[in-house]
Amino acid sequence: MAYVATRGGERAIDQSERLYRAELGQIDAARVAEIRLALPMLIDRVMGEASLYEPDLAALALAQAGGDLYEAVLLLRAWRTTQPRLTIAEPVLQDQLFTHRRISAAFKDIPGGQILGPSLDYAHRLLATGVLQGQPYMPTPVDPAATPAPAHQPSLAAWQKAQGLVADPARTEVAPDDIPDLTREPLLFPAQRAHTLQSLARADTGGMLALGYSAMRGYGNAHPTVNELRLAEAEVRVRHPRGTVFSAGRVKVSQAEVTSKGKSGLLELGFCATLGWNEVKVISGATLDLNAPGAAKGSPVEEEFFLYHTEPVEASGFCIHFKLPHYVTFQSSLDALRGAKTATPTQPEKVPA
Amino acid sequence: MTIATLTRPWEAMSYGFLDASAKRELRRKMLKAIAVPGCQMPYASREVPMARGWGTGGLQVTLTLLKPSSVVKVIDQGADDSVNAASIRSFLSKVSGARETWDTTEATLIQSRHRIPEERLRADQVLILQVPNPEPLRPVEPNMSVARQMHADADYGRLWLILYEQIVRSGRVMQGAAYPSLVNGRHVMTPSPIPRWDVPKLHMAQHLTFLSAGREKRLYAVPPFTRVEPLVFSDVPYQVEDHAALTCHRSGMTGYFMNEIPQEDGSSAFELSDSHLGIKAIRQAEGAAVKIGPTWYENGKMPQ
Repeated sequence: MAYVATRGGERAIDQSERLYRAELGQIDAARVAEIRLALPMLIDRVMGEASLYEPDLAALALAQAGGDLYEAVLLLRAWRTTQPRLTIAEPVLQDQLFTHRRISAAFKDIPGGQILGPSLDYAHRLLATGVLQGQPYMPTPVDPAATPAPAHQPSLAAWQKAQGLVADPARTEVAPDDIPDLTREPLLFPAQRAHTLQSLARADTGGMLALGYSAMRGYGNAHPTVNELRLAEAEVRVRHPRGTVFSAGRVKVSQAEVTSKGKSGLLELGFCATLGWNEVKVISGATLDLNAPGAAKGSPVEEEFFLYHTEPVEASGFCIHFKLPHYVTFQSSLDALRGAKTATPTQPEKVPA
Repeated sequence: MTIATLTRPWEAMSYGFLDASAKRELRRKMLKAIAVPGCQMPYASREVPMARGWGTGGLQVTLTLLKPSSVVKVIDQGADDSVNAASIRSFLSKVSGARETWDTTEATLIQSRHRIPEERLRADQVLILQVPNPEPLRPVEPNMSVARQMHADADYGRLWLILYEQIVRSGRVMQGAAYPSLVNGRHVMTPSPIPRWDVPKLHMAQHLTFLSAGREKRLYAVPPFTRVEPLVFSDVPYQVEDHAALTCHRSGMTGYFMNEIPQEDGSSAFELSDSHLGIKAIRQAEGAAVKIGPTWYENGKMPQ
């Protein structure tokens, strides 16, 4: 009766949870603060996938989940969804971003300049093993440039539009309250543009990389060139009930725009942005977006395919649900299987002599 | 007048966990689902404090229906003491103050994964089935937007075709659980992975059934007294699992859906899948004043 032993209801699940939490030990404000300080990239990734910009809560979720990313994202999403939407911030245009890093692979130099900003791209990936032997690793201080780069940079696509290289559809003004909100409405296909971008913004980084990489390797139609990659801070400008527009603070954002020559004879763009700094995610997402128009049904670059399958909470939840008992379903299949065995076998096909 | 007098005191969570806007959206979609039986209604499907695929769709519907006077039963594969059923049930009572029960006849709301209790449900009871995959067309059309179009056109030919192919290849219909069924003569639905044994219980039933898939963001309903007809050919009748003659080795009951327990000697023992029905039968045999309600199946047969 081994199976019955794995049941046992509330006591069993209570003790099982205790066993897990015992491993993590006491969680206090100091641990949360240390996670926030030491792991900013991880915090950014979790905030992006949770679509909730709150580094302290993200650090708390990571502490509580012991670093299990999917659990941390679920914790934050479940908290986020019960919170009221107080107001909708004003849209942010690219040239209004407080830009830390902005590069283009499409041109040697671009209006506003290539700004490397913080990056490990050209670092040698050597493990600083000395740290384990008691020699703390102290980063070499930055030598500030004589003339700081301007905080605001134009968008490269704006130059391309002026050159007639990129289609420039008229911008439609949408009232803030009318912007579709994926967290309050189901995703349906063909997806509204806002839903697509929101869905990419909160997608699973690893899942997006896997599908984006498959497109980059050749399972997509378009080869991406990074038109513009930007790490920046965006001002969250909201309207006070009395009418004054003010900044409620800044959030870190990343965005990628990739391009390729389209069938129309113009350059086509793929775009992805997310909360927090996460370059792999936005480049992968923009590549999928670039490849999506006209993609065959069921291909990994088809919008329905990649948006459904990169949803971190849904994908991870369904994966772990297979641990639940399925013996009723199994019994039902077993019955059909046994029935088929006893049913008269079909006549074997006659092979012409 | 101060702001404090105009607002309610702060609370960590809303009654029944979901906030009012989430419940309002769900109620609208639930009413729509009742209005068009068997038709899948997309809904926002909020995140809840449980992983997707673990009953989050059923949970959202149940949370919306709960009130303090509710009596709630939760089963997984027929069992009340299954770990996930216990977890969901304690969450439901914690956020709503509703009373918990294992007794089908006592419950006002029954959330279930993959079984319909053997005791007949009444008009004052609501059944909420958890659904992993709401799309009966998934085996023939994995793309959801194409499948949606096929439902609109009542284009179910390919479902009939796979049933036909199964008969040709295996001599019988091989569909196990989740048998595709035509609701109200219009929409084909998956009744969720309940065994074929349970599908006839939905046909012209007195109770209301909601089926909700949280991960896939779809809910649908079978209102009371609605036709639910499994897809069959007129010359190949619908076959439920061959359990009518099996006897539960614990309770001695015969004629209900059973769990098969493999034995060391190579044989199988059987026990009632509806675990609380078994408990009631055992307690009744011991002389306790326990009432077993009328069951759908009588002597292993569903009365026509």
